[in-house]
Amino acid sequence: MEVNPSEIISVRNVTRTFSTGDVSFNALEDVSLSIAPGRFVSIVGPSGCGKSTLLQIVAGLTAASSGDVLIEGQRITGPSPDKIGVVFQEPLLLPWKTAAENIEFPMALQSASKSLMQKRSAELLSLVGLSEFRDSYPHQLSGGMKQRVAIARGLVRNPPLLLMDEPFAALDEQTRTKMWAELLRIVSKSQSTVMFVTHGLVEAVYLADEVLVMGSKPGRIIERIFVDLQRPRTLDMLGSTELGRLRNRIWNLISESVP
Amino acid sequence: MTILPRKHRTLVMTLLLTLLWEAAYRAGLLNPIIFGSPILVVQAAMKDGDNFLRAFQVTAFEMVVAVAIAWIAGVLLGIVIGISRFAAILIAPLLSAMIALPLIVLYPAFVAGLGIGPISKIAYGTLNGVFPVMLATMLGVSTVDKQYLVMATAMGASRVQLVTQVIARMAVPTIVSGLRVGMSLAIIGVITSEMLASVEGVGFWISYHRTLFNVGHVYLGIIQMLLVAIAANWILKQLEDRLGRWKQGVQTGK
Repeated sequence: MEVNPSEIISVRNVTRTFSTGDVSFNALEDVSLSIAPGRFVSIVGPSGCGKSTLLQIVAGLTAASSGDVLIEGQRITGPSPDKIGVVFQEPLLLPWKTAAENIEFPMALQSASKSLMQKRSAELLSLVGLSEFRDSYPHQLSGGMKQRVAIARGLVRNPPLLLMDEPFAALDEQTRTKMWAELLRIVSKSQSTVMFVTHGLVEAVYLADEVLVMGSKPGRIIERIFVDLQRPRTLDMLGSTELGRLRNRIWNLISESVP
Repeated sequence: MTILPRKHRTLVMTLLLTLLWEAAYRAGLLNPIIFGSPILVVQAAMKDGDNFLRAFQVTAFEMVVAVAIAWIAGVLLGIVIGISRFAAILIAPLLSAMIALPLIVLYPAFVAGLGIGPISKIAYGTLNGVFPVMLATMLGVSTVDKQYLVMATAMGASRVQLVTQVIARMAVPTIVSGLRVGMSLAIIGVITSEMLASVEGVGFWISYHRTLFNVGHVYLGIIQMLLVAIAANWILKQLEDRLGRWKQGVQTGK
């Protein structure tokens, strides 16, 4: 298989079939996509379009029925924390660990040395702006702070790809808006490549370089939309006509795809 | 009116009750065969203190061993059963039936098999204490939020790491509540079996002096057991504080 160095991730003809008894259906059908280094790609689609299935396959948590996922040219066959950092909808911080220890968790699973872990967690705490909360426990942190710790944990092993599964869906609107700016700042600094799955059309457009729109039954990618907003993104772009136009276009695509 | 500092309150209340007890005894308000008095307890301790300490040593040894085995075996079995759906289906109905069984009916078999020495007391105490520990551990382990397992798997946790670093740790607050019940039941088991068939230990001391109407001796044993209960409670409090500090925030819903 040829490897394209300009791609961090390449999903090739992934199909996922579920069957219950005699009935089988394709949650995902022939999904292909690729993301170049440093790009931020959002994936949106109606409920049940297979977004979560796609994410689980990329994260190595579920196997595809056919097709391949390659990260930096290597096939994913199971969880690959050295290649993919994952941020979930809930922060899922371990409540008995401090912020720093939660960030170190993926390294601790690899029995990394204490000094190396502390160095990394200090770097990441400073990246997400939580240096003074190093020794705080999750219950002492706000929702937004917890999700920042979760992002830092996703980045701790310096993976080529950061996978985010509706990471701000559980936050209130104000916090969410702040987190958009925070995330853009963090990933531009860490130069991460991001695959961002979301329900929110505005955040999909606002954050991304391109948006992949999925349709349901079967789950597939129906459109690839490039976002022509300048970087760095500013908050007043949220009210811009360009963003509104793209949002409406995606909305129409999704409505048409659902019968 | 000033209220006493918190740490002195218990002490003052204890002294007050002791005085009240002695006063009521002297005033003839209490049946002397049933209640005794603090002075009688002190007299018993002065007369037979050496023997009592020997009895307590035996009992303390039995209790510590029974509690330790019940805790360790209960946690290990609970984890194994809790994480295996197959084992849970096989064993859970059996366990529920065991819980309803008054374990004391098994005691004659313990004496027949293991004699009236410390071994049968330890075995019986362990049997009493192990079930609540096991059940609490099973419950704690099987109710861990699956999302955390998905998270840890994605972060690269192996199956063993999932159990040791996420599941078992997450279940700690539930396990500790099981340890508390298991400890009390193991201690009760040891004392009960000493009272039923034994020639040594505090349980035997109490039932033996009961038959001789040595009320002071009886209450010496009872008060000693009260102190053991207080000490056991203190040990568990330390354990809870140590392992469950993070749970405080969870309980307040933050």
